Amino acid sequence: MVTIQGLKKSYPGVLALDCIDLEIKGGEIHALLGQNGAGKSTLIRMLSGAEQPDDGTIRIGDAYHRFRTPMEAQKAGIFTIFQELSLVPELSVAENIFISDLPKNKYGVLDWRLLKREAAKSMEWLGFSVDIEKPVKQLSVAMKQGIELAKALHRKAKVVLLDEPSAALPQPDVKRLFEILKNLRANGIAIVYISHRLEEVQELCDVATVLRDGRKIGSYAIAETSSGMLVRAMVGRDVKSSLLGEALAGENRPRLGKGETGDVVLSVRDFDDGKILHGVDFDLHRGEVLGITGLLGNGQNELASCIFGTRQLEQGVMTLNGRRVSLKSPRHVINAGIGLLPEERKTQGLVLPMSIESNITLSSHKEFSKGSIILRQREHIVVDRMMESLRVRATSSKQAVGTLSGGNQQKVVLAKWLVSKCRILIFAEPTRGIDVGAKEEIYQLIQNFAAEGGSVVIISSEIPEASMCDRVFVMSRGTFAGELCFNEIDIHGDAILNLCCA
Amino acid sequence: MQAKEMTDGVHVPDTLKIPNSGVLSRSLGRLIKPVVTNYLLIVLVAIVVFGYFLSPYFLTSRNIGNVLTFAAVVSVIAVGQFFVIVTGGIDLSVGSIVALSTVVAAVGMKNGMPPFVASVLALLVSGAFGSISGLLVVKARIAPFVATLAMMSIGRGSSYLVQVGSLISISDEGFIHFFAGKTGIIPNPVILFVSVMLVSAFFMQFSTFGRRLYAIGGNTEAARLSGLPVTEATFSVYMLSGLLSGLAGLILAAQLTQGSSLLAQGYELDAIAAVVVGGASLSGGTGNPLKAVVGGLIIAVIGNIMNLMTIPSEPQLVVKGILIIIAVVFIGGKTQPRLFRKRTLVRRSRASCDND
Repeated sequence: MVTIQGLKKSYPGVLALDCIDLEIKGGEIHALLGQNGAGKSTLIRMLSGAEQPDDGTIRIGDAYHRFRTPMEAQKAGIFTIFQELSLVPELSVAENIFISDLPKNKYGVLDWRLLKREAAKSMEWLGFSVDIEKPVKQLSVAMKQGIELAKALHRKAKVVLLDEPSAALPQPDVKRLFEILKNLRANGIAIVYISHRLEEVQELCDVATVLRDGRKIGSYAIAETSSGMLVRAMVGRDVKSSLLGEALAGENRPRLGKGETGDVVLSVRDFDDGKILHGVDFDLHRGEVLGITGLLGNGQNELASCIFGTRQLEQGVMTLNGRRVSLKSPRHVINAGIGLLPEERKTQGLVLPMSIESNITLSSHKEFSKGSIILRQREHIVVDRMMESLRVRATSSKQAVGTLSGGNQQKVVLAKWLVSKCRILIFAEPTRGIDVGAKEEIYQLIQNFAAEGGSVVIISSEIPEASMCDRVFVMSRGTFAGELCFNEIDIHGDAILNLCCA
Repeated sequence: MQAKEMTDGVHVPDTLKIPNSGVLSRSLGRLIKPVVTNYLLIVLVAIVVFGYFLSPYFLTSRNIGNVLTFAAVVSVIAVGQFFVIVTGGIDLSVGSIVALSTVVAAVGMKNGMPPFVASVLALLVSGAFGSISGLLVVKARIAPFVATLAMMSIGRGSSYLVQVGSLISISDEGFIHFFAGKTGIIPNPVILFVSVMLVSAFFMQFSTFGRRLYAIGGNTEAARLSGLPVTEATFSVYMLSGLLSGLAGLILAAQLTQGSSLLAQGYELDAIAAVVVGGASLSGGTGNPLKAVVGGLIIAVIGNIMNLMTIPSEPQLVVKGILIIIAVVFIGGKTQPRLFRKRTLVRRSRASCDND
């Protein structure tokens, strides 16, 4: 269906894509794998017409194409569904599907009847029951993705590119998305699927192409390839001895905490926000890594916001070493000595235009200033040491944080709290959107932090991640459905899943 | 090293030249460096050269003194405006506060207050007005544009009310000399605005206060979740802006020897233009006070050249508008002029973040 030959693209200073050959067949779900910075996004941008390659050809069927705009790519039948969906939030479902060619009647006025009929038909075909007159902004992410797909189908898409579609979806919706994609495959449409989750690739895809450092490492038939092999291809080294490698090989379940725990340092009692959360209690011990998981939408996000001090509680107290912590604002929580690592690094964790250095010392201005004048020298020394020990890959500490990859950004957020010397870290989705290699490093950093007596709470919807914790609380409908010790969790996390669904 | 940069780089005008001695000069050099390496100063110098060839009067010390004196008021306001804009806000009330400040000082002195007391009173009132804007923004959560639009109206109205009748003239020699006289050959307004500019630039660059403001403008949510006192800092920039407008009002009152509610109309827009021409983004997080002032000077110098060429004021307005557009398109922003960016606006953030 689509044949790419010798595709090349360079940005100032980097060769982002180096002679990529790729063949995507109709009726095939083709996974595109690689770490952040491997060139996946660049490749997608070439295919979707967002940018043009320096060299190489894109052939669809027998025709060679050179896309100057996304519009041209769409005319040729290539549709891209980006993570940040391109729908108009104020318009209805029907209008969004037909946005580029709204049907007109003979007076040249919008033909609402036809519009609604056609829209309803296409949503139904995809298996969504939705009020097509509703504005899109009121719908869930899953529904919005459905609308994007309907839009693509309406315009006779031959190839659909999906950029991490499952990242923002709760589990049941992921299942449904897979059903839809399989259905499209059966109808002869070619699908390119980008995801960091290998278990999804195993379940859904037929072929996987692995990119690393802008080069194609190889294409693998999924049926004959293990996750371990894919990870090795992505990372470029043997990961058997690593935490994730162990976990993927199913040999040994890695553990983030020490296993033995000291006194209670943080305790949360009776959290209730009057809407979603009720009766949430837990204790966190010194040196412990505590996991809180559950299916998306069961109150984990709300719990994180309450602990961060960004969400109003109706009742409940949090105490740190026996002293009550005010939850009025993040500032109060942070001043008590708790580090917050929010889910959205780019919008909540980092000031992207600022330098790595300024971001790292953002929460410890007191230690790095005298009479409110910043001690540049001290700042520089500490930041350099920290960047080295966390292995933050950057050209200099003056580089803007926004130019780093996801994994390195998360390291900067972590460095911010390590510099502030807090002993308790609360992570929300610590490795979301981070590639395999960097994930590994983040886990190791958490391990080190706990080994030195720090305590960690990980609020995560990734079950493999939760199953590495010393203890796991499973959330269901705004409260804890159960608690599991490390030893009670099996390798595949079935014990957790059972509690999720209980 | 700094000295080398300054001599090798571009010609630095006298007002920016600094003695090269020890720590002070090193940190000042670091302050100046971003300005020298910016196109902005080159543009200013180019305009000055241009002016030199167009009019023999342009480079006389008298004319330069006039331009700088005239630019002092807007420069001081622009610095205040910069503090607000760097947090992502905007302050439309500054022109009205300038007027209010002239009136308060004039009325005070007319009623027998010593000039010092009247000046302090004017500053306090101006600071208070700025504080009200600040409270409206952080406590009542009104959008800065709207909150300060309301304060602009209230400020202008209040100055009428305080004034009671027509303009009030100022005759106190001490007051006039301090704010509009000369020390040696340097006009006092120039000393005032250069000090305000340098002190502000110093704090923006080297203090935790400056860091906070850049962080808030860069990403308010991340600043809050990093434990910065976002509310207090945001409040303080409006107070500062009010205070500096008050100071600008005192200079203006002394220059015109009067207090009047009709003064400083539209100065808020001149100040915003200066900040924007100086390369700061209205969405916050970028720029610095030096550049804001240089931006204002570019506008002022071009106005002066046109005056010397006896171009009437209406075409001047057109030129000024075009100038702002050119400045923002070509020298605004950090490195890459907007015109030359790729057309992939939607994907822009991804491209710069994913790094692949």
